[in-house]
Amino acid sequence: MNDHHTPLAPATEGRLRDIGSVDILVGIPSFNNAGTVGHVVRAVGAGLAKHFPERRAVLVNSDGGSSDDTTAIVARTAVDYQQLLIADRQSVLHRIVTPYHGIPGKGSAFRTIFEIARRLNAKACAVVDADLRSISPEWIEMLLRPMVDEGYDYVAPFYLRHKYDGTITNSLAYPLTRALYGRQIRQPIGGEFGFSGTLAAHYLDQHVWESEVARFGIDIWMTTEAIASGARVCQSFLGAKIHNPKDPAADLSDMLRQVVGSLFASMEQHADVWSTIEGSQPVPLFGFPYEVGVEPVHVDVDGMVSHFRQGLSDLEPLWREILGRRTFEQLADLNQQGRKDCRIPDELWSQIVFDAAAAYHHQVLPREHLLKSLTPLYLGRTASFVLATQGLTSAEAEQTIEQLCLTFERSKSYLLARWKAREYQLVSQEPESRVTLDAGGRHEQLY
Amino acid sequence: MNNFIDQALMAPLEVLAGHALAVLPNILAMGILLLGGLLIAWLSSHFVERLLHVIGFDHLCNRLGMTTALLRAGIKTDPSRVIGTSLYWTVILLASMGAVSALNLTPINQVAHSLLAYVPHLVTAGIILLAGYVCSNFASQAILIAAVNAGLPPARLIAICSRWGIQLLAGAMALEQLGIAEHIVVVGFGITWGGLVLATAIAFGLGAKDLAKEFLERRVVRTKATAPDDLRHW
Repeated sequence: MNDHHTPLAPATEGRLRDIGSVDILVGIPSFNNAGTVGHVVRAVGAGLAKHFPERRAVLVNSDGGSSDDTTAIVARTAVDYQQLLIADRQSVLHRIVTPYHGIPGKGSAFRTIFEIARRLNAKACAVVDADLRSISPEWIEMLLRPMVDEGYDYVAPFYLRHKYDGTITNSLAYPLTRALYGRQIRQPIGGEFGFSGTLAAHYLDQHVWESEVARFGIDIWMTTEAIASGARVCQSFLGAKIHNPKDPAADLSDMLRQVVGSLFASMEQHADVWSTIEGSQPVPLFGFPYEVGVEPVHVDVDGMVSHFRQGLSDLEPLWREILGRRTFEQLADLNQQGRKDCRIPDELWSQIVFDAAAAYHHQVLPREHLLKSLTPLYLGRTASFVLATQGLTSAEAEQTIEQLCLTFERSKSYLLARWKAREYQLVSQEPESRVTLDAGGRHEQLY
Repeated sequence: MNNFIDQALMAPLEVLAGHALAVLPNILAMGILLLGGLLIAWLSSHFVERLLHVIGFDHLCNRLGMTTALLRAGIKTDPSRVIGTSLYWTVILLASMGAVSALNLTPINQVAHSLLAYVPHLVTAGIILLAGYVCSNFASQAILIAAVNAGLPPARLIAICSRWGIQLLAGAMALEQLGIAEHIVVVGFGITWGGLVLATAIAFGLGAKDLAKEFLERRVVRTKATAPDDLRHW
């Protein structure tokens, strides 16, 4: 148990003393979201009034130093209960608008929210992004009800998304999390989550707040930490997720580094948990799933293939160190194929991801370099996915993702062999790989 | 005649033989010191290397991240071997100094003393070169990855230039520390570096003026750039 409290602003400390304790906490991390945060605050206020009228609730805005009116809008936005036909609002919705301390990023904002949840003894908590355009009051119920009434500890979101929306999730975070921890959480880096007060305290006690977790890595870390700690997890259907485009300055390479770095760091910490798990189990899904039209997405496949090919040419020495010899040879063969046929198949992609995880574990390269050098590989895989699913419906594309997940699960023995290899460098340079994929998709030890 | 032979030939030979006999023990001592130094260097380096290996020094370095630091420098040898090799060459250096001093000749002694006084400069220059090597490898790798991720076609060229640039800088600093053609090195380096910067500026200004114009317009005027696609990775 960590007795050190996360530092809070003096004004926030005062507000906490005034409020005392609450049943429910909803957190909104923000940074220059004046255009959308008002809508999010109204949705949260209406959701709490409509679905939890008798509960003491607090809305916490953890802001990263916005230069626009974000915090002022959070403080003054009112909910028109009459318009929403809400008559029995019994409890006042408290509001705390606070800056956060630490490394600038979403994770540090969450840390402050967790600390406030612990100080106020909140039983159920939820966090929602400040840039959401499609949030409705029902989201609040779907994120909190499983904790309030069903005794769950963690609620992951389940969105309707375009088949090319959230490609890091589809090609990496979902298959890898599912294969490692055996739970089929479809959106492990969704952005909106529900969690119990107990789990919030557990998050606070982890010494990760100076790492990638303090930035974009927080989402995947919360999910993996919840599963690995044995928390009861479920999913809630939230419909379509529409939000403002991400900051154009936010580099894909940085985002990928933070997510994958957080995933690989969790693998290090929970190796004893995931190494014994085989296959995967469905996770309960609450809500009423329905189909909606989602925004079309235009994709520049040629650009992604060019990036991949440049990586294959320029980063060859690094990739040879990261990947197994046979994996790299298969990858190099793709360079001889035509642009439209340059596809990374599921088996090869799973081996690439597992090789990278093992290389991270064995520190064959500086970790930051290793993670950043994966960007062209990821773009190559994303281009392959787009080429393979052009003309398919979302449901058919989902089947393709399901096949990828099954490949990851079948290939897990390959990961274990690479992970446990003591002399990683020697193994990766041996003339014959230690592990090979047989016809049935199982990996067998050769020696 | 006999007198002539004794005085003109034998006397100088006797003097020479006397000198040779006087120096011979010193030469023998020098040889012994050199051989002994070689033996001690070999034995001590092997012993220290084995000892460090047995007590798990490499494992400790791995946990402390020192192995990674060596890897960053492109040194793919165990830390215990690095220490063993360093010890070997240190003992060889000391033994050589001792051996030269054993001759007990004033000019050689002076040279030996000068060499000894020069050792701190050598060590400093060595550290500068090593640090330059480590930094250049790490930086060029980081630049290569960043350039590839940014989609710059000459990524490898940029990385190679950065590596050589840093190593050149380290080399110039090391030579200055050694006192070898100090001014020429500094002036030469300044001219080369200044020339490179000027050449790049002229090339960018003349050869890519449209690109520069477009870049500055984008940066300063902040016109809205059209996105190549709207794929959301998150």
